[in-house]
Amino acid sequence: MKIYVTGYYTTRFGEIWEQSLSELIDEAITGVLKNAGIDKKQIDAIFFSNMLAGVLGNNLHTPSKIAEIMGVNIPIFRSEAACASGGIAFHLANNYLQAGAAKTVLVVGAEKMTDYSPEETTGALMTAASGEEQAAGLTFPGLYAIIANYYLQKYGYTEENLAYVGVKNHFHGSLNDKAHFRNIITVNQVLKSACIAAPLKVLDSSPISDGAAALVLTSDKKMIGKMKNKVTILSTKTASDAISLSKRKNLDTLLAVKIAAEQAFREAKLARRDINVAELHDCFSIAEILAMEDLGFWKKGEGGARIKELSTQFGSGSPLIVNTSGGLKAAGHPVGATGVKQIGELFLQLCGQAEKRQVKNCRYGLAHNVGGSGGTAVVTILGI
Amino acid sequence: MISPVKIWRRQKDIRNRLGQKGTVVAWTTVYVAGNDFKKYAPYPVAIINLANGDKITCQLVDCEQKDLQIGLPVVVTLRKVREESSEDVITYGLKAKPL
Repeated sequence: MKIYVTGYYTTRFGEIWEQSLSELIDEAITGVLKNAGIDKKQIDAIFFSNMLAGVLGNNLHTPSKIAEIMGVNIPIFRSEAACASGGIAFHLANNYLQAGAAKTVLVVGAEKMTDYSPEETTGALMTAASGEEQAAGLTFPGLYAIIANYYLQKYGYTEENLAYVGVKNHFHGSLNDKAHFRNIITVNQVLKSACIAAPLKVLDSSPISDGAAALVLTSDKKMIGKMKNKVTILSTKTASDAISLSKRKNLDTLLAVKIAAEQAFREAKLARRDINVAELHDCFSIAEILAMEDLGFWKKGEGGARIKELSTQFGSGSPLIVNTSGGLKAAGHPVGATGVKQIGELFLQLCGQAEKRQVKNCRYGLAHNVGGSGGTAVVTILGI
Repeated sequence: MISPVKIWRRQKDIRNRLGQKGTVVAWTTVYVAGNDFKKYAPYPVAIINLANGDKITCQLVDCEQKDLQIGLPVVVTLRKVREESSEDVITYGLKAKPL
C-alpha cells in the first residue's frame, strides 16, 4: 500500500517562553490541518512524540491531553526513544496505516526544554544513557565528545574539520524563518566558542529548544487525489544497538544507523546517489560526519576531509544537499519534535515549498534520526 | 537523594573490578555537567579496555590534562562518585587512575 505525507506545519523553534507544551502542540495541529486543508474529523489516530515532559514537567499521559485540546476521541499513542522519538512516531504511524488500522493519521512531535536550567535539562537528557555512563558524570555532549576524540585521532583530523558542520548548518538556518538560530558563523567563531566536552564546543552542539511539528499521513486515495502537495513514503526503517559506548564493537560507527540505512535503501530500491536532500541528526558536529559515512554517502574516515569542501551546502550545486532546515544545530533541537521536523523539511523540499532554501530538481529525500548516541536509529526515504 | 538500597544494588559488581588494569580507549573532559556533577567539573571521563577484555566507562583521577591520551595505562580504584548534600549517603564507585 502506498502511504503519502500530505501536510506539514512547524512552530518556530527556539526559546518560546510565551507558549506551554500544550499550546505548542495546539499550534502545530491547527497549523497542519489548515496546511493540508482537512478537518479534524478526517483524522483517525494520532502518533505523538515527546521525551522529557514526564521527567522535567510532571506531565505524562499526554495523549489524553491532546484529545482534550482537539476535542476528539480517537486513538492517540505516544512514542519515546530519546532524540529519535519523532522518527519512531513517524515509523509507527506508517506501519499503522500499512496494517490498515486507519486511513489518515497525524504525527505530532513536541518538546518544552527552556523552562529549566541547563543543568536540569542536561541531567534529564542523560536518562537516555546507561547507568554506568550516568555514574561516570557523562553528558550527551560528553558521549559524542568521546566519539569525536576517537575519530579525530584515528583518522588524523583536528577540531577544525568538525567546525565546518556548524558553519554550513548555520548558513542554512539563516534561510529558514522557523530556525532557532538564523546567524551565519565562521570556522574561527566555532573554534573560539566555549568548550562543553573536549573537543566539542558550544558551536559544535545543537541548542536546547522549544518547538512542535506535525505531519499528515494518509493512504486514502480520495484524499490523495485532491492534494496538491504530497510525497510518497518509500521506506522507513529502524534499528537499535547497545546504549553504552563501552558495549559497542566500534566507536566510530553507529551500527544501528548502518543497519537501518541498508534496509531502507533496499526497500526503496534506490542508490545513495539518488538522494538529493537529506536531513541528518547533527546533534553534535561529529554526528553529521559519522552519519554521512554510516549512511553510505562517504567512505569511513573520509568525512573529516569531505566536510571541509562544503559540497553538501545549499548553493554548492552538488547532487546532495544536507540539512537545509539548518539541522539540529541551527534549526534547533526540541527533541520530540526533531524527527518530525526532519520529515517535514523533506516534504517542503520535494514539494517545492522550501522558499529561499529550495534545492532545485529534488526527487528523493532521506531523514536520519538518532536516539541516545546511537541506541536507536530511524532512516526514512521519501520520494515524489 | 539516591536511596541506600539503590546504591547497594548498584555496587554489586564493584568489588570484581577493583584493582583491574587496563588502557584508555577514548576520553573526553566534561566542562558542562548535570546538577549531580557540576561541582566537580571539569573532569576527565574515559572508556577503559580492561586486561580481561571487558570495557568500562568511568572518570579518571590523579591525572593531569597533559597525560590524557589513548593508550594511557590505568588501574581501577574506589572513589567517591557523588554526594548530593552533607547528610546524604555518599555514593562510592569506580574510577581509574594512571599507573
